[in-house]
Amino acid sequence: MPLYQESRKYHKWFMLFVGFQLLTWSITGAYMVLMDIDYIHGDTLVINKQKNLAADQVMYSFKELLVTYPQASNIELGFMLKKVVYRFNLNKNKMLISAFNGQKLSPISQQLAVSIAKENYHDNSVNIEKVLLLTGDSPSELNRRHLPVWRVDFDDFSSPSFYISANSGQLVTKRHNYWRIFDWMFVFHVMDYIDGEADNKLLLLFTVLAFIGSIFGLVLTYYRLTPKHYSPKPNQVEKY
Amino acid sequence: MRQVNQHKSKLFKFSTVKSLHKWLSLLVFIQLLIWLGTGLFFNLMDHNKARGNYNKQAVVVQEINNQRLLNPNLIIAMSHVPVSEVTLVQRLGHPYYLLTHEKGLYSHFKSDYSLLDAYTGTELIVDSNVASQLAQASYKGVGDISSVVILEPPIADMLKEKNTVWQINFLDDLETSVYVDASSGRLVGHSNEDKRFVDFFFMLHFMDYPFLGKGSVGSFNNGQITFFALLTLAFCLTGFIWVIELLRKGHYKFGL
Repeated sequence: MPLYQESRKYHKWFMLFVGFQLLTWSITGAYMVLMDIDYIHGDTLVINKQKNLAADQVMYSFKELLVTYPQASNIELGFMLKKVVYRFNLNKNKMLISAFNGQKLSPISQQLAVSIAKENYHDNSVNIEKVLLLTGDSPSELNRRHLPVWRVDFDDFSSPSFYISANSGQLVTKRHNYWRIFDWMFVFHVMDYIDGEADNKLLLLFTVLAFIGSIFGLVLTYYRLTPKHYSPKPNQVEKY
Repeated sequence: MRQVNQHKSKLFKFSTVKSLHKWLSLLVFIQLLIWLGTGLFFNLMDHNKARGNYNKQAVVVQEINNQRLLNPNLIIAMSHVPVSEVTLVQRLGHPYYLLTHEKGLYSHFKSDYSLLDAYTGTELIVDSNVASQLAQASYKGVGDISSVVILEPPIADMLKEKNTVWQINFLDDLETSVYVDASSGRLVGHSNEDKRFVDFFFMLHFMDYPFLGKGSVGSFNNGQITFFALLTLAFCLTGFIWVIELLRKGHYKFGL
């Protein structure tokens, strides 16, 4: 059985080089499929309350806003806590003004950021552990475009953090430890330790080698498990 | 065999590891090769083409006449349905107030909107004609519209979308389809043959088969992949132990 012998030799050698990565793929892959993706995104941490606008809450119009800020775009009338506000883009930044009198409200204070975080958090009995204003540098788990942002850490299972935009007063993203682990798992799954993309040469090399190595393994499966070739002779089965 | 086992840890017998590896290989080999093959495809594919946006263009924003904008309190008072947000948007170069009645956590989650002309307050219903014009405005290809269909989720091209959408199909080489939200007129996205081809590989990689369980849902949290992931984990672990054992026993001889 030269094919069998050759396959055994090659399978052995290929797996010396890619076996660890195959194990990594299976561990990281299993983690990612076992974890519910909506939970990972932190959707279950957020309570999506909806408040309704009353006509008498809006004393300042879009028209007035555009007179004061002619460059404003994506203008949105909505709530910040119990207050009715306008949010809009101005020179690539978000801005927040009162819809009652047009008063500028951004950037928001720490106290306000904490209240907003608490309002959005699913469990109102949980305490805040730490609050931090991020302006210049963003942690890797936060997109730079959200800066400046208040990071509000909750003292709860899996250390959740809510990121509240200082300029819009909105929850922009949420993170917790299982998301953080998931992010690492993805990095190891696609073997990109720099920017987490799946189109790198290292992944290409390992995928090709793993594929070839697995084909040799498949040849072994065929010889070992088909009745025609299966030999119960112990000294034959014994050798690697 | 007996001799080998004497050196083994007491937790497991090496012969069991080998036997497990052999039998697991039979169970997982097809999916393992699919994972490696599709993984190779994702590594080599053209990531720009995969987005399905070949014929997509940015919608042109027009100047609006601020003085003609209706007061929002009037709009809120006029609405028969509760309103949680009012956004000034443009549709086909004209300003509209987008009224939010129900909003999901993300834009593709179930939501409910209506559009009112920001100058006159007249409601804009996104019918097939409006949807076609909105799609045309986002399309830079050369094809004509071949069909306009209203679809309820699940939508094969946009599995995560949970809202009713208009599908506008264009007669071009890429078979471009444009999706427009039926209540807000929001451009959901473009899709074409390139994207559908990539989506097929994702379906295989995620074992998100249309004929199993809840059908294709565009995610990798399903029973079949969980089952195979755990088998594959056991398969790789037994194989890895095997390699370590071969190394320990000096069966890897470097050089000739």
